[in-house]
Amino acid sequence: MITRFCCALLLLTAAACTGHLRPAPPAPGAASPSTAESRSTAELAAAISAAAQRSDNEPDSKIRAELATQAGSDAQACIARDPQAAACLYGRAVALGLSARAHPTRAGEFLNNMLDDLARAESADSHYDEAGPARVRALVLIRAPGWPLGPGDIEAGLVAARRAAALRPLYPPNLLALAEALAKNGDAVGARESYARARDAALALPAAADKDQWLREADQGLQRK
Amino acid sequence: MSTLLAASLATLVFCAPGYPGGAGDAQPLVDQFANAAAAAAGWPAGSLAAVYDPTEAGGLAKLGQADAVLTFVPYPFYVEHAAQLHLAPLVQADVADTGPQQRWTLVAKSGRITGPASLSGFTLLSSAGYAPDFVRHSALQGWALPADVKIESTGQVLSALRRAAAGEPVAVLLDQTQAAALASLPFAAELKTVLQSPEMPVALIATVESRVTAARARAMQAGLLKLGHDPGGTDSLGPLRLRGFVPLKLPSPTAP
Repeated sequence: MITRFCCALLLLTAAACTGHLRPAPPAPGAASPSTAESRSTAELAAAISAAAQRSDNEPDSKIRAELATQAGSDAQACIARDPQAAACLYGRAVALGLSARAHPTRAGEFLNNMLDDLARAESADSHYDEAGPARVRALVLIRAPGWPLGPGDIEAGLVAARRAAALRPLYPPNLLALAEALAKNGDAVGARESYARARDAALALPAAADKDQWLREADQGLQRK
Repeated sequence: MSTLLAASLATLVFCAPGYPGGAGDAQPLVDQFANAAAAAAGWPAGSLAAVYDPTEAGGLAKLGQADAVLTFVPYPFYVEHAAQLHLAPLVQADVADTGPQQRWTLVAKSGRITGPASLSGFTLLSSAGYAPDFVRHSALQGWALPADVKIESTGQVLSALRRAAAGEPVAVLLDQTQAAALASLPFAAELKTVLQSPEMPVALIATVESRVTAARARAMQAGLLKLGHDPGGTDSLGPLRLRGFVPLKLPSPTAP
C-alpha cells in the first residue's frame, strides 16, 4: 500500500548513504585481471568504495545492480580473508547499502544488516574512514523510514552523528552528517552552525573534487530555512 | 471534444501524507499501475497518467488541477478532504500484510489516561495528524476530546512513543502496523492502549470533482475490482504492496 510503497522509496534514499567514502583508486576490474580472492584486504575495500562512488552517480538501475553484485562479492572475499577487519565489515556494510538501493523490496533487510555491520566495524576501529562507521550509521538512521516500517531513528542518528563529529571534527562529511541530523531533530540553529563548520573545514582543505562537493552541500544547507 | 480531452488528460494522483518519500523513483511504479488500471477498465491505452506526491499540500495542489480525475489516498486524507474535493470513492485497497480494513489505536503512558477528560493539555501525535477531523470524529469517535488537545502530524512515531513513555503529556495514535509492532519496543511496558477505533478502510481510490463521467467511473471501478485476479494486474500491484481492491465498506458517518 501507499505506506509500504513510500517506505520503499525512503529506503532507496537511505540506501544512498554510502557517499563520503574514503577516496578510492580507479574502478576495479577495469585494468586489473586479478580475482577477488587474490587481492588484499585494502584492495578489496578500495574496490567496494569505488563501486559505491560509481553507483552514487549512475542513473542506470541495471548498472547499479551490477555494481552492487560486484561490491557484495568483493565484501565476501574481504570477510573471508579477514572477518574482524574494520575495512571488511565496513565494506560489507557499504555493499549492503548498494544492494538495498538495487533491490528496494528487500531494502529493509539489507539496511538492518548494514547497521549490524557498521556497529561491528565501529567496534573494530571507530576511526576507520574518518569515523566512517558512525557517520554512515547516522545517515542511514536519519534517512531511512522510521519504526516500524524501517530502521530509521532520528534520535539515534543524531547520537551517531555526534560521535563521528567528535572522532574526526575537521572532516567535512562528519559535520555535514551532524548538520543533517540536527535539522531532522528540529535544531535549525545547531544545523546551521554545523553546516558553517563543514564549510570552514572544507575551505581549509586542498583543492579536490570532494572539496567542491562538500562546499556545495554546506552552502545548500546554509541556504535552507 | 471534451471526451477526447478527458481521455487524453486524465491523471490518477497518489498522495500519502505522513509517509514521506521521493516522487522520482515512484514514477515508474505509479505509471505501471495507471496503465494496468486503464487496461482493466477498458479505458484507451495511455489515457490515464499517474503522479505521486508525499505531502498533503502538494497532493491538494495536484488534485486541484483539471486533469486530476482519480486519487489514491489513505482513509484519513479522504475523511479530511472528501467534501472539499468532492471525492466519490470507488473501491478500497486490499493491502499486503494489513488487508482492506484497519483499526487505529490510541496509546499513552500507563495510568495517565482514564477517559477523554484526562487528555486535557495533551498533544496527540500521529502519522494521520494532518487530518484532525479524522482523528476526532473517526479514529476517536465516541470520545469528546477536550478543546485544548492539540493534534499534530508526525513522521517520527518512535520519537513520539518515547516521549509518551517518558511521561510527557503526549498520546500517540497508531495505525494497525504500528500498533502490531508496539510490543517489540523495549519500553512497551511503559505504554498502554487507551482506545481502539472501529475498523475502517486503509486507503481508497476515488473520483475527484466529478471530472470523469459516471460511465467511465463505473468502468474503472469494475476494472479495479478485477485487477487483483488478473495476472497482468497483479504485476502492477506487487510493487505497491497491494493485493487488489475490494468493494467499499465505509464506516457510518459520525457527527462532527
